[in-house]
Amino acid sequence: MSTRMTKVLLALLAAASLVGTARAADVRTITKELFAVPSTTGNEDMLAAKIRSLLPKGAAAETVGLGTVAVRLDGAAGPTLILAALDGYGHIVSGITADGYLTLDRPVPAPHGRFDAFLLGQPVVISTAKGPVQGVVAQPAMHLLTPERRRTLVEGFTLETAYIDIGARSDKDVRAKGVRLLDPVTYPAVLTELAGDQWAGPSLGVKAAAAGLVAAVGDLGARPGGQETILVWAAQTKFPARGRGARPAVGAAAVKSKWQPKRTIVIDVIAAGPGGGPPRLGGGPVLVTAKDEPSELRRAVESAAAAAGGPLQFLAAPDSPLALPFDAPPGDTVTLALPVRYLNTPSEVIALADLGALRDIVARFLQPGGGR
Amino acid sequence: MTKKAWATILILFGAATMGSAQSRAWSLMREIVLVPGVSGHEGPVADFIQSHLPAGLKPERDAMANVWVTVGSGRPVILFVAHSDELGWTVDRITREGHVRLKQGGGILPQTVEARPVIIHTAKGDVTGIVAPRPGYDERITPGEAKDEKPFTAESIDIDLGVSAEAEARALGVAEGDTVTARKTFTDFAPGLMATRAVDDRAGCAALLDTAWRLKPGAVKGRTIILAWDVQEETGLFGAAELAKTLKPDVVFAIDTFVSADSPLESKRFGFLPVGGGAVVRAIDSSNVTPKTEIAKVLAIAGRRKIPVQVGSSRGGNDGSVFLAGGAVDIPLSWPGSYAHSLIEKIDRRDLEALSDLILALISDWK
Repeated sequence: MSTRMTKVLLALLAAASLVGTARAADVRTITKELFAVPSTTGNEDMLAAKIRSLLPKGAAAETVGLGTVAVRLDGAAGPTLILAALDGYGHIVSGITADGYLTLDRPVPAPHGRFDAFLLGQPVVISTAKGPVQGVVAQPAMHLLTPERRRTLVEGFTLETAYIDIGARSDKDVRAKGVRLLDPVTYPAVLTELAGDQWAGPSLGVKAAAAGLVAAVGDLGARPGGQETILVWAAQTKFPARGRGARPAVGAAAVKSKWQPKRTIVIDVIAAGPGGGPPRLGGGPVLVTAKDEPSELRRAVESAAAAAGGPLQFLAAPDSPLALPFDAPPGDTVTLALPVRYLNTPSEVIALADLGALRDIVARFLQPGGGR
Repeated sequence: MTKKAWATILILFGAATMGSAQSRAWSLMREIVLVPGVSGHEGPVADFIQSHLPAGLKPERDAMANVWVTVGSGRPVILFVAHSDELGWTVDRITREGHVRLKQGGGILPQTVEARPVIIHTAKGDVTGIVAPRPGYDERITPGEAKDEKPFTAESIDIDLGVSAEAEARALGVAEGDTVTARKTFTDFAPGLMATRAVDDRAGCAALLDTAWRLKPGAVKGRTIILAWDVQEETGLFGAAELAKTLKPDVVFAIDTFVSADSPLESKRFGFLPVGGGAVVRAIDSSNVTPKTEIAKVLAIAGRRKIPVQVGSSRGGNDGSVFLAGGAVDIPLSWPGSYAHSLIEKIDRRDLEALSDLILALISDWK
C-alpha cells in the first residue's frame, strides 16, 4: 500500500471515528432534551411536540390517535413498524383541599408496590396549562413522629396520605397558580451523572429509548430502498387494555390497529438484572423474543447489530404489554430493549454505551440493505 | 420639590435600603445550605462563615471549627448562637462490588433517599451515587403489607456509584469516613418561599451573618455581644458544650428551627405556628423552658419595632440549653419550619428577615 493510500485510509478512519463520536453526542443531547420534558400517560403532548421538533425537517411526521407521533418512510412492501413509547409512569392531581394542598392519583396502575412510596418527602413538578409549578410531597417532621405515626405515615405511606404543598393557603391560591385537576405530577428532571458513563433520573429509560429512535432517524432523509417503514412514538403505552388474560398496552394496540404491520421492532426498556446479573447494564441492548426461535426479522436485527459493531444481549421472555398486540401470527416481532437499573424508580440508571448501541442498531437497520 | 415629595423619596430610599439589607439573609441562606458540613466535618461551613463576615469583625475559631465574633465589652454578655452542622452520614465501608455502605445515624428518614442521588464528599472532590432501592422493591406488594418487611434504615443504604469493583470506587476517591449528604435541590414555591435540605440550621447561620453586616460596633456599649456558629448540634450539642467552657454568657439566644406543625400531616394540637407568620420565640422545647418574663421582654422589643413574632412550643433541643447550668438564661429564637429534618425543609423569607430584625433589635434594646 502506498503512503498516500495509507494516509487516505487513516483519514477515512479518523472521519468514521468522528462520525461515531458525533452520533454518540447526538443521542446524548437528544436524551437530555427529551428527559427535560414531562410525559405521563394521557399527558404526552409536550414530549410529542418535542420529538417532532427534533425530527429531520424532511420527515413527514404526523400525530395520530391518542397522541402518537409517526413518521412514514416509503417503500415497496410492508409495513415494518418500529415503535417506542412516549409515556412514563407518573401521577395526576386528583383533588385540591380547602387549605391549599393537592391530593394525588395515578392515571394507570402502578408498575410495582413501592412506586407511590418513593414520593414521600420529595420535590415534584405539576405541569399546568400556565407552566410548571413546583411543590413538595409532605412528610412528617422527624421530631413529631411517634412509633405509630412512623408505621402509618412513613413505612406505610400510600397515596391516601400523600399531599403536595405548593406554598398555597387555600384552593383559591392553588387555582391562581394555574393548577387544575388531572394536571400531571412528576419528579423534577434532574439528571445524575455517575461514574462508568452512566446516567440516572426519573423516567430516564423510556426517554432514552425514545431518544434512541429519534437519533436513529437522524440524517435519514428520504433514503430509497427497503420496505415501507413506520417509526412510531406511541402514547398511552402504560395503560393496559381491559379484559382477562394478558393485557396489551392500549397505545400499542391502537398502533397495531392503524398500521397492521407485518414486522414490528419494539424499542422498550428492560430491568437490568440485580447484582450485575443478566441482562447486564452496559452489556448492550437486549434482543427479546417471546419464543426463542429464528425469524427473518430477528436475523435482520442481529445482522444490523453485527454491522453496527455493538454488543447485543439475548433473552427469551414473554411479550411485554408493548409488544403483545403485535405477536399474533403472521406478524414477526422482536423487542430491542434498553437495560435499565432500578427501573420505575426516581433514579432509573442507563449506560450510555447501551444507548449508543441501540441507536446504531436501529440506524443500521433503517439504512439500505440494513434489514428494512 | 415639595416637602411631601422629598419625604416620599426618602421613604422609598429607606425601604429600598432596608430591603437590600434584609435580602442578604435570604441570599446568604441559599448559598450556605449548599456547603457540605455533616456533624463533625463543618470545616467548609466555618470557612464560608469566616469569609463572609465583614472585614471589621475579627472571628475566632477553635479546633472543633466553632467560629465566633465578639463586639463590645462588659456585662451583660449576650450570646447568639446558630449551628453550622447538617444531617448526613459517613462512609462505613466499600463492598467488593464497589458499593458504599454507611454508618448508623443520619437524622433523616432513610426512605426519603431510597432510589435518590447522594453526594459523597471525598478528598478528591464530590462523587455522586444513587441509593439502591431495597431488594424486591419492584414486586407487587404495597408498603406495610409484607409481613417480614424489614425497616429501611441507614444500614440499609447501599450506594451505587456506577462502578463494579471496590478498586474503582477507591479510584474515584471514596474512602471510609467520607461524609455523605443527600443531593440538595431548591423548590421555589414563589419568590421568598422555598424548601430544600439543611435549612436547619443554615437559616440561623445566615441570619447571624446578616446581623454581623448590619451591626454597628460603635452602637454596642455597656455590654458584650457574641455571635457564634457552633458545630455538632445534631449529634449532641457538642460544639456548644465546648463553647460553654470559655464563654460565660448571661443570656443565650439560640437560633434554630421551630419544628412547626404547619403541614397537612401534623396534628395542630401544639407546634402550629404558620410559615410566613414571623419570627418565633420557642417557649418550650425538648431542652428548655423559657421564663415567661423573658418572652415578654422579647415581645415588647419586637412590638416597639413592629417585628412580627410568634410564640410556640414544640419538640427538639437547642444549643442554648448547654449554658443553663452555667447560670445563663436560654431564649431560643426561630422561624417556623415545616417538614423538619427532611430534604424539603420549608422557609419563608419574611420569617427569616423578621428573625434577623429581631436579633438586631435585641442587641440594641435588651436590658
